[in-house]
Amino acid sequence: MAPPSGLHQSAIPSDFETPFPALVRSSTVPASLQSHRADPSHLAPEDAYTPLSPPRQQSGIFDSRGNGSGTDTRPRRLRRNNLSRSRSRRRKRFQKLLWVNQSYPDNYTDQATFLENLQRNPRVQPYDFWPLVADSTVILQHVCSVIIFIVCFVGIFQERVSPVSVVGWGSFATFLGWLLWDFWVSQEDQGGAGESGDRVRSIRGGRIFREYRPPRRQDSNSGPSQPLLATNISTASISSTSNLPSAASSTTNLLQEQPLHRPNPSSHPHSSTPSGSLLTPGHSHSRSVSSIHSVTSQTSANSPTSTTRLGPDDAEYAANGRAYLRVSTIKSAILIYFTLLGLSPILKSLTRSTSSDSIWAMSFWLLTINIFFFDYSGGWVGSHKKMPVAPLSTNAALMASTVLASRLPSTGQVFSLTLFSIEVFGLFPVFRQYARHRSWRYHVVLTVLLVLGAGGGVGMILGDGNGWPWKRGLAGMVVGCLLSALAMGGCSWWLIGLQKYKNEIYGPWDPARPIIISRRHWDDD
Amino acid sequence: MAPTYNIAMISDFFYPQPGGVESHIYQLSTKLIDRGHKVIVITHAYEGRTGVRYLTNGLKVYHVPFLVIFRSATFPTVFSFFPIFRNIIIRERINIVHGHASLSNFCHEAILHARTMGLRTVFTDHSLFGFADAASILTNKLLKFTLSDVDHVICVSHTCKENTVLRASLDPLMVSVIPNAVVAENFKPLTHTSSSGSNHTFSSPPQHSQPHFPPARPLGPHDIVTIVVISRLFYNKGTDLLTAAIPRILENHPNTRFIIAGDGPKAIDLEQMIEQNVLQDRVEMLGPIRHEEVRDVMVRGHIYLHPSLTEAFGTVIVEAASCGLYVVCTQVGGIPEVLPNHMTVFAKPEEDDLVAATGRAIAALRANKVRTENFHEQVKKMYSWTNVAIRTERVYNGISGAISEAEFYGYDENTTTNTWSAATRGRSGVQSFALIDRLKRYYGCGIWAGKLFCLCVIVDYLLFLLLELWFPRDKIDICSDWPRKKPQLTNGKGEKKKKEKEEYIL
Repeated sequence: MAPPSGLHQSAIPSDFETPFPALVRSSTVPASLQSHRADPSHLAPEDAYTPLSPPRQQSGIFDSRGNGSGTDTRPRRLRRNNLSRSRSRRRKRFQKLLWVNQSYPDNYTDQATFLENLQRNPRVQPYDFWPLVADSTVILQHVCSVIIFIVCFVGIFQERVSPVSVVGWGSFATFLGWLLWDFWVSQEDQGGAGESGDRVRSIRGGRIFREYRPPRRQDSNSGPSQPLLATNISTASISSTSNLPSAASSTTNLLQEQPLHRPNPSSHPHSSTPSGSLLTPGHSHSRSVSSIHSVTSQTSANSPTSTTRLGPDDAEYAANGRAYLRVSTIKSAILIYFTLLGLSPILKSLTRSTSSDSIWAMSFWLLTINIFFFDYSGGWVGSHKKMPVAPLSTNAALMASTVLASRLPSTGQVFSLTLFSIEVFGLFPVFRQYARHRSWRYHVVLTVLLVLGAGGGVGMILGDGNGWPWKRGLAGMVVGCLLSALAMGGCSWWLIGLQKYKNEIYGPWDPARPIIISRRHWDDD
Repeated sequence: MAPTYNIAMISDFFYPQPGGVESHIYQLSTKLIDRGHKVIVITHAYEGRTGVRYLTNGLKVYHVPFLVIFRSATFPTVFSFFPIFRNIIIRERINIVHGHASLSNFCHEAILHARTMGLRTVFTDHSLFGFADAASILTNKLLKFTLSDVDHVICVSHTCKENTVLRASLDPLMVSVIPNAVVAENFKPLTHTSSSGSNHTFSSPPQHSQPHFPPARPLGPHDIVTIVVISRLFYNKGTDLLTAAIPRILENHPNTRFIIAGDGPKAIDLEQMIEQNVLQDRVEMLGPIRHEEVRDVMVRGHIYLHPSLTEAFGTVIVEAASCGLYVVCTQVGGIPEVLPNHMTVFAKPEEDDLVAATGRAIAALRANKVRTENFHEQVKKMYSWTNVAIRTERVYNGISGAISEAEFYGYDENTTTNTWSAATRGRSGVQSFALIDRLKRYYGCGIWAGKLFCLCVIVDYLLFLLLELWFPRDKIDICSDWPRKKPQLTNGKGEKKKKEKEEYIL
């Protein structure tokens, strides 16, 4: 039986010059047992399992990682040369190094250096109340538009509202929105022409838009994109109205309505740049276009000069392009209209064999999915952090509307509801996003309108039909406003309150984030 | 005579699959056998490798048939491993169960069952995990479950220790840092082999490498400096950094060239970079190589570049230094602890800094400031598996009570106000096996998780009782041992010598 101390020594064979230190409790036992801590600025081992967080201070004396083993070994070696002759009994300082044989047992835990590089919540940005409330309006808007859609469905279903009026007003609003959009686009083209222009405007317009549009050369869609777009148009017209709920392409292509209307680069080779950037909000929804993106961004990144050039010729081309664009928008709108009209009878009988309860439950879940997976980021054109689930959201909404529409008794109602759902879930988010991008004031006005509409609608629906629908509607508006204000404020306040539980731990064990300047090869995957 | 143990090394990862954990288990087992212990390895069945096998040195390997789900990790069933595990443990009369690698389900199950059966357990952690992503959170919870009742944990670096302590909420004194090691004989520099004339086990280097042999040192100002990179080409190995840095390094330093060995999803990026910058004659991509060939590739270069983003230990940089290469590596994870400063140039994980650090390394080599020819001997002194085995043996001694609690955990026995350890430890620093004590330890794992874990432990215990009834102990054959080796005498002498010295000093 070897003496225990011998075992200790055998573990550290080369360390002859210093005596094996008598380990005392104070040296290794967690500091929780000790009445005082050696140095309060250092993290002690017990910090690993106690939630209290002492102030983090980087110790200047001994930084075994920051500048490597070098800075601390070299001075020490010098010192040791001085001292080694005198056979100092002093214990060598513990080092967080593996290549030196130290006179410490393997499970020694150094008070000074253990967990010294632990960082807690290093990147936490404290939230402010009002910006948080302002940001939450985006969610409110979407929830409200979903509610309005449901209200319209219930109205049609209970035959309180004529489906024609719903879709009529909806289409009218869409048309107005499109006109406004078109006006904005042309204004932006004339005014800004470059990205500097619209950056200025967006700075002026909205304080909360942190994400400006990335350089527009990102979507200078030239050559290769066009044939693909053409196929998109054709597939959109065919598949957009097919009632297969899982057909991802159908709904994503529906969203292409704006992107579809790109100027034809074969006839206007230069016009693609100015208008292209404005017309790509659908990108975030569409895989097909984003794949084009990846094709073109490579080429455009290599030739950035082609994008900055914008002469008077180009303006003319741009105007031409817009005209073309308008025509094609109208064309595809008519196409969708008639396809839907043709498909409505089929849709009507789609779920005849399914009970209504399952339909309600299913559409509830689908709309919930839509709300939860909606792309609220406002990620504008060619944004790199595209939400991969944004198409899921739109698909879910359209599927919900399809199954809801199939409950309706007449073809006209089915047609109206489906068309309305395309307007609400496909086109309206794009408009909202653009309005927010455009001006903070528009955004607020739109939010208020939506809240009023949703509240009033719910109020009217909840009434029993007789009596005063407008009174109920008014009450609903008031309640809706109160509720939304309460929800926005309350949730923001709650979120801020929850921040104190935030405990992110960072340390040297985390994978480093490489900083690479010349990102070229792996950008587009 | 030091006590000897019957040790079972358990991990999902073992030969024939190549890798760091695998070789760690093998080398450690071999050295422990050399020290007179009995070691068996339990792993799952690999394709073409089933049943019981003996490896060199009498190392017995059990390949247990089990469902493999992902990257040779087995399917996490909490209890299904128990019957065969118990059988093996009783057959082999195991005292200590030593699990490896935190992603190995076998190891976790084995530790749980071993504690139920009343065995000592040790766990070795080889990797670093974050705390942020969902996969890590799940793994960390699982680790917490297993390690609530482990006797001791071994980590391969101090960073790894900090990480494991945080992940599993362990008492830091329960965690030892015992680094990996290298078999220095397998990583000799070229000049070394020629001068000593020893027969190294490798085949001669491939033919096409002949013109690239480093010229006789010292390096002239216009001689070609070869930079070697050997790593799996994954994101977390920093291949993106490498791809960005290579063109700039080659641009700044005309007489340099790269040799890249390894394969992975990022290989395409590298190839694209080579073609875009027309560097075909300056960057050589060897593709996947076997571990035996690593040395032959390394000795063709002067600098080893290691751009990894996370690394618990980084055995490969030790191997490179052992081959006499100057090492340029990113300062991440446990890497800064591994090699002394005169062998390495550290870079931040940034493209610019990596380029600058490589530049410094090339300049230092050209100025002949680096004595790379001494690296091999120095590394040999720093890292050896024998040392690792000795240190692991001390852990075994500590947990099984062969050395006292005071000595192992380092307290003063006289002033024991043992409130802290009374709940967890019984006699002489050893965790008690009583079910209620174990449940206490598991219960603290979390509000819900604690109860769930307790339930698992109770089921496990019932299963154990059932197995005792169903397959009684006396019906299980005891297998005959491979003849044990006598512990080397030299070590005992060394101990004596040291002891004398200690007395002298005192």
